[in-house]
Amino acid sequence: MRVAIQALSLALFTGLFALANYRLPDWLPADIYLRLDPLLGLGAILAGRTWVDRALWGVVLLAATALAGRFFCSYVCPLGAILDFLDPLLFRRVKRRTLESDRALRNLKYVVLIFFIAAALVGSSLVYLLDPISLLTRTYTFALFPPFVGLVNLLLDVVRPLAEAMRWMDIATLSYAQPVFYMSLITILIFAGIVALGRLAPRFWCRYLCPLGALLSLVSPLGRWRRTVGPECPACGVCQDACPMGAATDEGGTRTAECIQCRTCVAACPQDVIAFPASPQLLSAGETARPDLSRRGFLYSAAGGVGLGFVVRQSPFTPLQNKAQLIRPPGALPEEEFLTTCIRCGECMKSCLTNTLQPSLWEGGLAGLWTPKADLRFAACEQECNVCGKVCPTQAIRSLGVEEKTHAKIGTAVLRKEMCLVWAQDKLCLICDEICPYDAIVFRTLDGYRRPFVVASRCNGCGYCEQRCPVEGESAIVVAPIGQIRLRTGSYVAEAKKLHLDFHANPGDDQFILKTEGLKVGPERPESGSNALSPAAPPAARQPKGFVP
Amino acid sequence: MTDSTGITRRDLIYGAAAGLAVSLPGLPRPAGAAEPDLVAITGEPGAAARKAVEALGGMSRFVRKGNRVVLKPNMSFASGPDRASNTHPALVFTVAQMCLEAGAEQVMVVDNPLQSPELCLRRAGVADACKGLKNVYVQMFTDRKFYREVKVPQGKVLDRVEVIKEVLDSDVLICLPQAKSHSNTGVSMGIKGLMGVIWDRWSFHTKYNINQALADLATVLRPKLTVLDATRALTTGGPGGPGEVVKPNLVIAGSDPVAVDSLGVSVAPWYGQQFKGRQVEHLLAASQRGLGKIDVEQLTILRAAA
Repeated sequence: MRVAIQALSLALFTGLFALANYRLPDWLPADIYLRLDPLLGLGAILAGRTWVDRALWGVVLLAATALAGRFFCSYVCPLGAILDFLDPLLFRRVKRRTLESDRALRNLKYVVLIFFIAAALVGSSLVYLLDPISLLTRTYTFALFPPFVGLVNLLLDVVRPLAEAMRWMDIATLSYAQPVFYMSLITILIFAGIVALGRLAPRFWCRYLCPLGALLSLVSPLGRWRRTVGPECPACGVCQDACPMGAATDEGGTRTAECIQCRTCVAACPQDVIAFPASPQLLSAGETARPDLSRRGFLYSAAGGVGLGFVVRQSPFTPLQNKAQLIRPPGALPEEEFLTTCIRCGECMKSCLTNTLQPSLWEGGLAGLWTPKADLRFAACEQECNVCGKVCPTQAIRSLGVEEKTHAKIGTAVLRKEMCLVWAQDKLCLICDEICPYDAIVFRTLDGYRRPFVVASRCNGCGYCEQRCPVEGESAIVVAPIGQIRLRTGSYVAEAKKLHLDFHANPGDDQFILKTEGLKVGPERPESGSNALSPAAPPAARQPKGFVP
Repeated sequence: MTDSTGITRRDLIYGAAAGLAVSLPGLPRPAGAAEPDLVAITGEPGAAARKAVEALGGMSRFVRKGNRVVLKPNMSFASGPDRASNTHPALVFTVAQMCLEAGAEQVMVVDNPLQSPELCLRRAGVADACKGLKNVYVQMFTDRKFYREVKVPQGKVLDRVEVIKEVLDSDVLICLPQAKSHSNTGVSMGIKGLMGVIWDRWSFHTKYNINQALADLATVLRPKLTVLDATRALTTGGPGGPGEVVKPNLVIAGSDPVAVDSLGVSVAPWYGQQFKGRQVEHLLAASQRGLGKIDVEQLTILRAAA
């Protein structure tokens, strides 16, 4: 029963992850697991000194835990489910040493929790590092999703000859776009490490490290259904060995905070003396509810959190943040708030239609680890897609309608004339103009040559030009964060209007192609030995491009 | 893929190639070819396309029973029909339907899009329009594994090119271009639309003279039929738009891809100017390679309303 619910929850988590793409309907909260996680919301609120609406969902989980105990860990948590399911597969034959005195280890998760809360209080959002839901979503995005798609394509390639022969054209022509991400390796290594720790003890992660478990365990002893052990208990120790959480004590007692209500002990008990009745009174004999973290331990971890929090913030990156170098997703909060609110779940990058959103390593400083940036040379930001904000559980990227999102300018294209085929080599190239959805690139006559220019007020930084520029290597037209609009609240359309920006295509300007009189163009293929710096030949054509007299 | 029907006419033009602009009046038409060279039908995209193909002698002239047909509309931009950068879905639907009626075993509607394939499929409306048709598949090919290299023996600038396998392996290629301006080639119609079935289109822009490369490409990709959607024409801002859209309200069809494009050039002003097909460099190059007739004044054109 429990395993079935657990499997169902994992399936739901995985399904919602799969559904997080540009077609996601507005009513479907694909990020619901992340929203339900009170730790992520708390971290964002504390670090960002801001209110996050979606964090209210976290209260639901906290309240449920206070009512019914720490069932989340054993029934709902997808990471817990994965660890539970992998355990018999990986470690069935392993004889695990009993960790005799694991008090220090058990306290570790509280250290982690206090550490992160302290860091958040000084303005560094670090919970994402070890929050299970964020960590798992991130692992799905960067480490599991891409190889999964690759595998599916491989299978399709294998069956393709058959499908072609049988004229199953839907299958014969099927192939999925392969997502690719930076930082896949490091993400999978962290995840693999968590799984590998299970070698030492079942649910090692949940017992000793998980800060969300630690947070929930602070309220779970209030829950109504708690483990009770009858007086007939001979203290045989079977339940102690069976409990994946180490919640059963020697004398037949219970560490109620550690108990995740999986009821493994009930099944294991040879005497049938363990039960989970509804217990009205707060705590009964033999129950330990408080984490026995010493005051010193508390202070040390708080100090550690404050320390690391400061280290993360006090780097040249922090003062540089308002001169941010990175192109952030459209609708991203102002950089400082963005960094503190973003929980690095990777959901935006998973759902990104073009795969332009990529995780940062050090580019945004230590505080920017895993935050999304647009790699516009790799792929552009699609005009009609607004999914990244829709799936952001803390609204570090605001959820915007397509029209609003279009006006959430992420940067401005800048022409690097020294690299541009037209400016530097007098070639006939107008790919950037052709691809620009907003007609933000226009050709003007300069000294008798036709030259491309960027009309900054029409460019919202989508990056099609940067992506498609045929210059090898770096693009000759790059989107810089110049003029990006990052609003905490309010309308982007109104802001753009105020700034006299116009992101609606204006069909008029292509007329300029007509005005060719006196225009010079370079030879299509310069003859060998010709001086590339010499002025190009006068024009042969007196017509718009593509036409002859 | 190289087509053998109608070779007589093409052979004749071949003789007239190398810049010979003179027409060849009085030469005998192939027996049984009582159909007009070109038809231009006024009306809604679907109805006009049907009438146009019927006026050419019906789809059975181009598609035989059991044939595998490839339709190549423009659907490589994520925009709806009103922007006129993609072929009208109703036209694609009608032609696909007519192919099935003529006994086609399979109709594959293909393109290699310039924007996200999913979005293009959704916004261009072709996938939705063809949903109800059995054995009709609308597919974007964005993976190189679906392409195969072929030689271009008659190429002047292009000696080999990677083409969608399905196009190479099919029996019939039918082009369903949208009439639109093009910032690089002047106009984009049937011949230019062939660039939608090759893998490396950027080399056309950066490596080769695009007009010559297009003519080269047209020597290996020979559509049996071209149905040009000029119900709307994007006269500036092409190929993607947005730009000025005029409504010639016409569907032009014919078996000669150069002639169809050439007539298409004359039905709307491009960038505010009136041009003839002969003034479009890539069409001129194609006609000089003997791929079709460019001077439509010398062709029989049937004009009617749907």
